[in-house]
Amino acid sequence: MRKACRRALLTVIAAVQLILAVGFGVFTSGVAYSEEPELVVWHSYRGLEEEAVLESASVWGQQQGVDVRLVPIPFGAFDSKIETSIPRGNGPDIFIGGHSNVAKWVDFSLLQPAINEVGAQRASADEALVVEGVPYGYPLALKTLVLLYNPELIDSPPSTTDELISMASAQTGEGSFGLVYEATAAYYHAPWMHAFGADISSGSATDLDTPEHAAALGFTRRLAADEEIVPLSPSSELMSSLYNAGKAAFIISGPWFVGDVELPIAAVPLPVVSETGEPAKPFLTVEGAFVVADSEQSALAHQFAAWLSGSEGSEIRQRIGLQAVSLASAPPSEDPVVSAVEEQAESAVLMPTDPTIPSVWEALERALRRTVRGAATPTEAAHEASVYLDVFSRPPPTPASPTPYLILMAVVLLGGFWWCFITFRNPHLRSSVHRHRRDYLWVLPATLSLTVLVMLPFVVGACISAFAHQGGEWTFVGLKHFFDILLSRDWPLTSPMSFYYTMIVTVLWTVTNVILHVSIGVAMALLLREPWVRMRGLWRALLIIPWAIPNYITALIWKTMFHVQFGAINSIIGAFVPGDDPVQVEWFGSFATAFSANLITNTWLGFPFMMVVTLGALQSIPRELEEAASIDGASWSERFRFVVWPMLKPALMPALIIGSVWTFNMFNVVYLVSAGEPDGSTEILISEAYRWAFSRGNRYGYAAAYSILIFGLLWFYSRGANKVAGKKVL
Amino acid sequence: MASLSFKNIEKAYGDTLVLKGVNLDVSDGEYLVLVGPSGCGKSTLLRCVAGLEEITAGELYINDRVVNNVSPKARDVAMVFQSYALYPHMTVRENMGFGLRVARLPKDEIKARVDEVAESLELTELLERLPGQLSGGQRQRVAMGRAVVRDPALFLFDEPLSNLDASLRSHMRLELKRLHKRLGATVLHVTHDQVEALTLADRIMVLNEGVVQQIGSPRELFDTPANKFVAAFIGSPSMNFFPSTGADGKAFIDGVEALLPVYVEGAFCLGVRPTDWLIGGELFEGVVEIVESLGAEALLHIELGSYNVVVQVSEPCGFSAGDTISLGLSSFHLFDHETGNRLADGAL
Repeated sequence: MRKACRRALLTVIAAVQLILAVGFGVFTSGVAYSEEPELVVWHSYRGLEEEAVLESASVWGQQQGVDVRLVPIPFGAFDSKIETSIPRGNGPDIFIGGHSNVAKWVDFSLLQPAINEVGAQRASADEALVVEGVPYGYPLALKTLVLLYNPELIDSPPSTTDELISMASAQTGEGSFGLVYEATAAYYHAPWMHAFGADISSGSATDLDTPEHAAALGFTRRLAADEEIVPLSPSSELMSSLYNAGKAAFIISGPWFVGDVELPIAAVPLPVVSETGEPAKPFLTVEGAFVVADSEQSALAHQFAAWLSGSEGSEIRQRIGLQAVSLASAPPSEDPVVSAVEEQAESAVLMPTDPTIPSVWEALERALRRTVRGAATPTEAAHEASVYLDVFSRPPPTPASPTPYLILMAVVLLGGFWWCFITFRNPHLRSSVHRHRRDYLWVLPATLSLTVLVMLPFVVGACISAFAHQGGEWTFVGLKHFFDILLSRDWPLTSPMSFYYTMIVTVLWTVTNVILHVSIGVAMALLLREPWVRMRGLWRALLIIPWAIPNYITALIWKTMFHVQFGAINSIIGAFVPGDDPVQVEWFGSFATAFSANLITNTWLGFPFMMVVTLGALQSIPRELEEAASIDGASWSERFRFVVWPMLKPALMPALIIGSVWTFNMFNVVYLVSAGEPDGSTEILISEAYRWAFSRGNRYGYAAAYSILIFGLLWFYSRGANKVAGKKVL
Repeated sequence: MASLSFKNIEKAYGDTLVLKGVNLDVSDGEYLVLVGPSGCGKSTLLRCVAGLEEITAGELYINDRVVNNVSPKARDVAMVFQSYALYPHMTVRENMGFGLRVARLPKDEIKARVDEVAESLELTELLERLPGQLSGGQRQRVAMGRAVVRDPALFLFDEPLSNLDASLRSHMRLELKRLHKRLGATVLHVTHDQVEALTLADRIMVLNEGVVQQIGSPRELFDTPANKFVAAFIGSPSMNFFPSTGADGKAFIDGVEALLPVYVEGAFCLGVRPTDWLIGGELFEGVVEIVESLGAEALLHIELGSYNVVVQVSEPCGFSAGDTISLGLSSFHLFDHETGNRLADGAL
């Protein structure tokens, strides 16, 4: 026995040493052993722009004897990586990004002020990187929307929107579209918004309920719906594929679009809006190189950033990367798209850096979708957007005194210690623990992992729920978030934004999914055990594939399949519907269809799990029981109902409860497929919590309160399920 | 009640022929036992009657109706499985009433019939228990009760007593006998236990490797076995066999001349049951190797030349290991040396 224990202990120690060694190796593999100083630069460039920055780094690095290490970060993850890595000391020396978040980064103390002077900039690009009179970052390039067009289809580009509409109408038909752009994205709506005299530069203080905003929404409705020249719900991938197929005459996008293009392409600034006579003014993003606050190579970092922004760096970026460089002294580009960007930049509106802008985006995009869909008039939509923005941007609850909570926590902790003390005084318990002390050693790693990975985040989340976060400030508010949510102070109970509406949708979502998962899973399992089914192993493997594929990939694929014009689902339905007109079910235009789309996707993902559990459970049901039932006169359905199903239930119950919990919190499908459309009505509690945390003013405390309520609901559910099962299933 | 008829029944699993042309007629009310070693096809034949296996060739008649393609539930048969196949989640009452429930009988009638059969099988106090709360014998009776309550045309028993201990098995054999007498039902009973077959059957069908060896009453099978296989299988302990030769009008058994009332020229096989030896006879002399005392009887295992024979005697036998014993024959059976088929039987 002692030998076995010693062996076990040695094994654990060896395993820990191995893990540490691997970790050390991974850690030190990132450590450079060269004699040259190293600069680490993060960017999200691809294609030609990446080549340009690599060349720039190489040229400057050789000049200065510095090893510049460029690290590409995916665009979608860039901001969050910056904001989480730098405060932990794991960030780069420099990162290249857009200026829109510079105010937030300064708030978070992520940046150093720029110490080197830069030359004169086009479109006042240097002002974009100034926060409270202090420049942060070195301007590099200008990014804005332009009107791209296929020169093989369009001889001469339009100068007004009426001309654009007329030319686009002539190019629309038989699967081709005159104009393709993301009409319901606020960024793409901005050019028209500015032309109608509306803006959002005040952030959450913006008044969206104005005639100007309503007029701009009406114009987008005309372009995107009434004129029938724009495809419904175009994604960037759809835009590229339509253009490359020669089925898109005009594209509204930026220079980033050109990298995916295979046909000739030309560009001009956006046309003048005929209704107002004002030019369309898109947002201007200034890309800059930002030196990180705690960089250990500050001096070198500033030097490189300044060089990149200067004439040498600009020349490389303009020549190789085809960037519209911000340096005024750089000669105008000969590339037509870059030239159009340079021209457009002069009349573009600097993207606001107010950290509350994401809340405005959400409210405005909600209004855009409702207007384009015809669910609201432009005036109604503008008013609703204003109401939403008011709620998204309202100040946090009044601070609460932490004293009562601290006292309560102290009482609970003391009570807990006392309970532990009393419990462990029990000699039987102590003897049992002592007897099994080596067994506890075996479960210790799993216990520690659970504590760190599950308990600790839960406790942290619970603590966060007692605080309100706004603009980087945390305020203790106690249980006020819970009261706000449960008393539905901001929304009527029937509003999709209310907790109760979302909870009902979540329960409906869970129930319908579980019913379908179990029905289809059990049916498939019963079918797979029939002796007349050939190649059972192959079928089993094929039917498990939906479960094996990462669910976010499946969700994205199904999302495209549900596209109103180009999706496979509508095409398949159309094959069965008589007539020549294409079937265009707008899957995300109503609650029923959007919910169904999510349901179909999640059913596809979920039934294999139930099928596998059922297959295993069926192995333990003796065939003789069904034979006996058959001889006793039972039909197939009676055999299933009276013999098979009662014996499957005990095995299925734990799977059902776990499946319910997973479905209850199935964020990926809801967020990626319907994205809560229409108007947030298909959001479930977890996706709603996400939005409060990340797109409505970073209300982390409010979102954490949501999460605690979700936990509470599921905890009660599992207790109830145990009771219904008649025993402790979970 | 029902009559049963097998006409050249064949059953194959892929290329393997498990039943090779079975012909049999079972009369209404008859208790027929299918007996044979493991793997001989007796359970397969039973399952063919139940409709759980598809018949490859031949015809099966129940009450003069061809039922080859009739579903199990439409054949009006009831089956007791070796493992009893009781529904573990149903009480005894629900198990017994299941067949009546799916037949849509009124609840009152179901209750009455279940109560009646339960009383006859002494299950009344167990009606609300689950199968997991019953002993082996109780489960066996519940399985019987489930079959009986349906009042079927034909009962099929697939080794129903094999999971019971020896004393319970003998008790249940009697119960089965009494039940058959009371119901007068047609029963097809499969067993590998020849004692069970001999005690229960009106007639026995012996199967070996899918081929019918003999069909007859227990007495016929015991007294006039059709071949060596039946002779060895029926009767416990098993028959003793000696290769023998007939020449010049004399029979030589292991080289020893024996006076037999039946002469067979050439090689043949002599079979002697353990009970058919004469102690003190002058035919053979051997040495007692082991004495197995069974209480009222004893089995003497004797070395007889190059053979070991078993002799059954009454206790006290007066022999012990190492004693010399001389033996004669009281009855004998002769079998063909090559085919094993019966040639003659006789007594001395």
